[in-house]
Amino acid sequence: MNEHRPVSEADLHAYADGFLDQADCRRVEEHLAENPEMARMVADWQAQNDGLKNAFAPYAISRSTDGQLIAGTAVLSKPALYRRLATAAAVGFIFMVGGLFGHFAPMLIEKPSTEGEGLAQEARNAYLIYASEVRHPVEVFADQEAHLASWLGKRLSIADLRIPNLHSIGFRLIGGRLLPVADKPGALFMYEDKTGRRVTVLVGRNEESRRTSFRIASSESVETFYWIDGDLGYAVTGDIPRELLQAIAQECYRQFDV
Amino acid sequence: MPRSPDPRGARTDGGGGGASSPLSFDAEVLALLPQLRRYSRSLTRSDAESEDLLQDCVEKVLRNRVQWRGVNMRAWAYRIMTNLHLNTRRALARRPAVGIEAADGVAAPIAPPDPLERNRLVQALQSLPDEARAVLMLVAVEGHSYQEVAGILEIPVGTVMSRLSRARQALRQKLQEENVIQLRSPR
Repeated sequence: MNEHRPVSEADLHAYADGFLDQADCRRVEEHLAENPEMARMVADWQAQNDGLKNAFAPYAISRSTDGQLIAGTAVLSKPALYRRLATAAAVGFIFMVGGLFGHFAPMLIEKPSTEGEGLAQEARNAYLIYASEVRHPVEVFADQEAHLASWLGKRLSIADLRIPNLHSIGFRLIGGRLLPVADKPGALFMYEDKTGRRVTVLVGRNEESRRTSFRIASSESVETFYWIDGDLGYAVTGDIPRELLQAIAQECYRQFDV
Repeated sequence: MPRSPDPRGARTDGGGGGASSPLSFDAEVLALLPQLRRYSRSLTRSDAESEDLLQDCVEKVLRNRVQWRGVNMRAWAYRIMTNLHLNTRRALARRPAVGIEAADGVAAPIAPPDPLERNRLVQALQSLPDEARAVLMLVAVEGHSYQEVAGILEIPVGTVMSRLSRARQALRQKLQEENVIQLRSPR
């Protein structure tokens, strides 16, 4: 070791991080003894190290859901990131043909249009972001359902907001949250079945009052049924078989329409 | 496309090395999750963002299992996570960040000695450039050598050192600046 080798900044970092051997440690310590300001800086770095280690150590834990994370994600073909950043352009539209509802009959086959596309995209994003949340899927849980309905009703200016009951289809309400839909307050309700599959129901204000047929937007395995009724737009999103999602959408439509 | 890391200067601890049968691959990823969760949280600004990143990373690791050469899975997974994070942060409009959730999230499972100091430190982290922050976390929290960080991030050691230096100076300055303000309104 050359005792007189000048102390570089890299040496100071390595000293703070404990990467130096004894001889180099001594060399740096001698240098620091003569440079109190530098010594304070290195001491601060070491305090940062300790603080950061302490701050994040609690996160180095296993979770009961870790197995699912490995098993559940193994079947996905596209990264979640890709799905999250997917643009509306990537969403394919399939227009439903079939008599879902009598009074929609005249509009059952519509020309492709971009109307509601934003709604479907927002519903999809909300689903991807929130339905995967293990601990915080909603802001208000179903045990406060009355409060949830009155709170979101107030924010959306809907006098009597009904939260659809999907028990008959095997889905129970987890709860709901407020979120922006087309830059206005919107409501998201989340449901779950016995096997942990989740669907979300999004309600948002629509620019103009009109009615559309049911439409379906699908991308990867996540699908969204959406429709506009008056000045409200609705979207039901899930990663479940289409027939089941459709049944849920119909049930929501029926209950919202009362 | 991520490649398995260059073995140069990389020690194979923390679940590295060896078998590559599908079963043991999954088991190794599973064993790495606590460390990945910690690293994810140290890069991000909230618990939710952290879990998203962890999930993205695990998906990508599993999908790219054929590319893994059985060298050092930990370093490989760290690289994937870092890249995913930097890509997302570049793609999203840069938010000034901070936020109640960032501070709250840290108070999670165990309460370290001085919560006020810890919150100040974590708040100060938000002011760091993402690249510099990743280097500091890999060194200070994850305990990697500079050489290993260079391998993980695929950048020269000199760049590791300059980012580390930038991160430490910025953090120090931020903490000194904010001292008075924080004392006025502790949370």
